[in-house]
Amino acid sequence: MKTILHILSFEWKVLTRNNSLKAIVLVVVGAGIYGIYFGKFEIDKQEHRISQVQLYEQQQFDSLLVWARLDTAVADNKKKRQAALSPSGVGWSKHFTYYLTNDAHSTAGLCLGQRDLYPVYYGFNVTDLARQVNTGELANPMKLFTGNFDLSYVFVFLFPLLIVALFYNLYSGEKEGGTLSLLQSQSTSVRMILVSRGLLRLFIVWALAALLLLAGFIIQGESLGEHLSLFWQWLLIIFGYCLIWTILMGIVVWLRLSASLSAMLGFGVWLVFTLVTPALLNLFVLANVPLPNRADMIHAVRNHNDQAWEKPRSFVFDQFYSNNPQYDQGDTTSFHKWYYASFTLMDKEANALKAQYEMQVGKRNALLEKWEWLAPAVMVHERLSRVSCTDRHSHQEFVKEVHNYHDELKELYYTRIFQNEQFSMEDLRRLKEML
Amino acid sequence: MLKLVVRKELLTALRDTRLQVSGGILIVLMLTAVLVGKQGQRQIQKEREQAQASMYDKWVNQGEKHPHSAAHYGQFAFKPKPVLSFLDQGLDTYTGISVFLEAHKQHEVLFSGAQDSNGMTRFGEMTVALVLQVLMPLLIIFLTFNIFSKEREEGTLKLIHAQGLGMRQLFIGKVAGTFLIVLMIFIPIVVLAYLLLDESSASIDAGVTGKFFAMALGYVAYFLVFVFLSVLISAFARNSGLSLLTMLGVWIVSCIILPKATANLADKIYPTPSQFEFKRTIQHKVKNGIDGHNPSDARLTTLKQQVLDQYGVKSIDELPVNWSGIAMQAGEEYTDQVYDQEFSKVENIFRKQNRISEWAGFINPYLAVRNLSMALAGTDFRHHVVFAKAAENYRRGFVKIMNKDMEVNHKPGIAYGDYKLGKEMWSSIESFNYELPGISSVLSYQWRSITALIFWLVGLFFLSSHYAPKIPKL
Repeated sequence: MKTILHILSFEWKVLTRNNSLKAIVLVVVGAGIYGIYFGKFEIDKQEHRISQVQLYEQQQFDSLLVWARLDTAVADNKKKRQAALSPSGVGWSKHFTYYLTNDAHSTAGLCLGQRDLYPVYYGFNVTDLARQVNTGELANPMKLFTGNFDLSYVFVFLFPLLIVALFYNLYSGEKEGGTLSLLQSQSTSVRMILVSRGLLRLFIVWALAALLLLAGFIIQGESLGEHLSLFWQWLLIIFGYCLIWTILMGIVVWLRLSASLSAMLGFGVWLVFTLVTPALLNLFVLANVPLPNRADMIHAVRNHNDQAWEKPRSFVFDQFYSNNPQYDQGDTTSFHKWYYASFTLMDKEANALKAQYEMQVGKRNALLEKWEWLAPAVMVHERLSRVSCTDRHSHQEFVKEVHNYHDELKELYYTRIFQNEQFSMEDLRRLKEML
Repeated sequence: MLKLVVRKELLTALRDTRLQVSGGILIVLMLTAVLVGKQGQRQIQKEREQAQASMYDKWVNQGEKHPHSAAHYGQFAFKPKPVLSFLDQGLDTYTGISVFLEAHKQHEVLFSGAQDSNGMTRFGEMTVALVLQVLMPLLIIFLTFNIFSKEREEGTLKLIHAQGLGMRQLFIGKVAGTFLIVLMIFIPIVVLAYLLLDESSASIDAGVTGKFFAMALGYVAYFLVFVFLSVLISAFARNSGLSLLTMLGVWIVSCIILPKATANLADKIYPTPSQFEFKRTIQHKVKNGIDGHNPSDARLTTLKQQVLDQYGVKSIDELPVNWSGIAMQAGEEYTDQVYDQEFSKVENIFRKQNRISEWAGFINPYLAVRNLSMALAGTDFRHHVVFAKAAENYRRGFVKIMNKDMEVNHKPGIAYGDYKLGKEMWSSIESFNYELPGISSVLSYQWRSITALIFWLVGLFFLSSHYAPKIPKL
């Protein structure tokens, strides 16, 4: 034991005096800090957009409330008051455009994931939702293509390289340095010495990872106390990932090759696991199971929408009232009722088609997930974006929320429209609370 | 003597098992990428052609309706898959593929592949471009990292020098030898890819052959840059290990770290506006103008007066033409104007952002070849914009025809529902057709990347001819 401690303290001195190693650690830490700042910059930008949208929505609704209280003795005010109180809107303009925002999760800035591919908010009125969520966010495709330089990227791509650099000459360094026979003459076995030295290196990597993660939490402005379990999840995933790479490098060391060959082999493994395998998986899955044809779905939705206006009113009402008996007052002539009933029917058809399409997409992505284990880098990145709520799944959850919110809003609107009523001030206050 | 050096380099490399293995892997990867990529490209191209044809068919057979209803029924434009995209996917996964075209509104080009995939997509797809841009330099590194240092360590460098071979010649010989090996791997793939350019390719893109060879030439230049660079590093590195470490460091920085950092920096320097601001601005500007469905604005009153004066009548009812048709077309044109203004602002911001990575080609040859290759493959940002604009122009064209027909033929007094047109009118609108920009335009807007590659080549050539005699022999 004493020898091992002695060796380890010597090892520590050697490591801390190795200049190229110091340089590599410096690069990794520097990249980590840059990644944290960049992630924060991106998330701040998104948050700014979100608050901009929310502010706009509040202002718009407040002016609606002012309009609702206007004195109708003045001719000009009549129109405004009508616009504020009529649930079916005035003319072609609808009553109000609501926004729902997808606020960033605490660690979203550490792993931006797929979040930059989707809009962080949707704006919609109570007509059919399906078409209103067909929007994107302005983004330079070049930037989406090169991807984000966030902390998760540093962990997933650069940490394995650090491990390769720390481990490749664990054995061959001794051999080529001529110190191997000295080690062999010790009472402690060489294997024991190598394992303890390897563990020391692993602890150094873990410590670096933990420090960067801590810095990430602090710079993002997330208090550790509140997000302790999230911190542990991150730490566990990253420690596990580093452990996998340590084991891989352990195997390389165990092969007892020359230093340059070990380095090349380690680098080759890195290349295969972070670059080649994911790229091959993408190629094969894309070629064999291409994304389902959206054109068919889009066209089907459009055709339904087009035909919806051609259908006889009685048909629309029959369908709508049987699905939504709570609105059935027996009225089959009102234009507004027919108009809004049609939107509900259009949405129903469109959502069914979309769900079908989503299922096909889901199947294809499940295929990618099935083979994910071949590429640990992908696996870890997916886990990190899952716990940070920045993966595709999280966006779909947000879309579901949008649907629910739309349904909630519709309830009050439809109740008033089908009872031939205007909004009361109480109604407007309720809607404001729902913002 | 020079021939002998080249021959020696070739033979040693070809006999080296490590290089046989890594070269073999590279070839297998490229073969897979070419064949599977081509198949995928063909399938997607077929799918989009079919979709385009079927959507046009739906337009033609939409039945009898009012021209304005038809303009709302609308059409779709599908982005054709560029022929050379099987070699370089470029931004194709991240740009939308289709856009809905209807009256009044400019819709976005939507539905990128990345949005429908999980996070693995972000790790990139195995294409020939990836192999050539990222993996080939690694092979060059493995070929050259000890090309000088080994001879020095074994003491043969001194012997060669003693036989009267100048260091400059030796340097050129080693560069030529390495470069030949790279070409031995590269040229068969070029030939294979060329054979895969079938006749249908030319029908999609007439300039495809020129682009293909320009692309190949770009890669040859890139390889030569990397060969020069790594032989130079090897010549002056203290030992093989250090030389390998330096080269891998250069590779990681230029192929992995810098591209991301550059794109992120560009976004910081030229911030991208949000969709929200973009739409709000357009809405706001249009509101102060005219909109076909809102005949109460000041602009509309002016227009009304103009039209009334033109026909010498006092009210809309007396007009011999359809007032709504005129108002809608005027509304279209005003919106178009506003939209063009705002769109070009955003486009300019993106161009400025991308220009940073083009200039960065002077520090990082990887970026130079990446941008050039993408542009020639027709999968860069410019091509996306050209498509989006073509689709928008097509939209304007057919909406205008619909409005004009309404203006002239939908006589006042006839109800909206009673004026209907049919197939004859719909089929008079030609199907959407889009041509990719020609090679000369691509090369001219990519001048920065081309100059960067030339700059690297010339610079390294002078650097090595200057420093070659000073290569340490011990």
